[in-house]
Amino acid sequence: MSDYRCGMDMIDRLSAESLGIIFVGNGVYHAATKEGGKASSLLDKKANFYALTEDFETRGITAGNLDSRVKAVNYGDVVDIIFNDYEKVIWI
Amino acid sequence: MGKLTIGTFSSLVGSLSLDFAVKLAEAAVKKGHKVDFWMSGNATMLAKKGQKAFKDYSYLAKTLQELIATGNFQITACEACAEARGYHKEDCPDGFIRKSMDWYLASTFDADRVLHIGGD
Repeated sequence: MSDYRCGMDMIDRLSAESLGIIFVGNGVYHAATKEGGKASSLLDKKANFYALTEDFETRGITAGNLDSRVKAVNYGDVVDIIFNDYEKVIWI
Repeated sequence: MGKLTIGTFSSLVGSLSLDFAVKLAEAAVKKGHKVDFWMSGNATMLAKKGQKAFKDYSYLAKTLQELIATGNFQITACEACAEARGYHKEDCPDGFIRKSMDWYLASTFDADRVLHIGGD
């Protein structure tokens, strides 16, 4: 997930036995931003959530700011997640 | 170890998705995987030699040359997309390939994982 404002509708239509969402680029705002005191509704999905450390730190977000449902990962972790944990990968 | 095919479409040099794609490829190769990297549309700008490094600006050329040198990384530009933008065979950096989209299609078929980063 590389965007903050777009792509939610596509995720709503996704159906998978096991779903993982990796926040990259501006998508990392889902992992830490609270609008009106509420975390992103995306985090209410039944999924495992990850946020790319390089991308959230670039935007002034620290690991301590992440929602408790989100795990900080690096590029190497993303490779392992792609190869070991999920059969298909899509970019939103 | 597996093979990852990454397709990038319409991402100019300096775009976040192109940076992401190259860094992901680098991480995958470091872990022993093979990576095929396809560029279509504006992403073919990456297949233009003579790119220079500037402070605080994306510079992927050096990383790509290092990846090519590993022997586990192939980078291919859509020939038609490049020609349409005035990038000719002689403009292509060493080690870069130019092919039709059939190359990308064939690569996705024998890849263990495919990441297709769409364009605008």
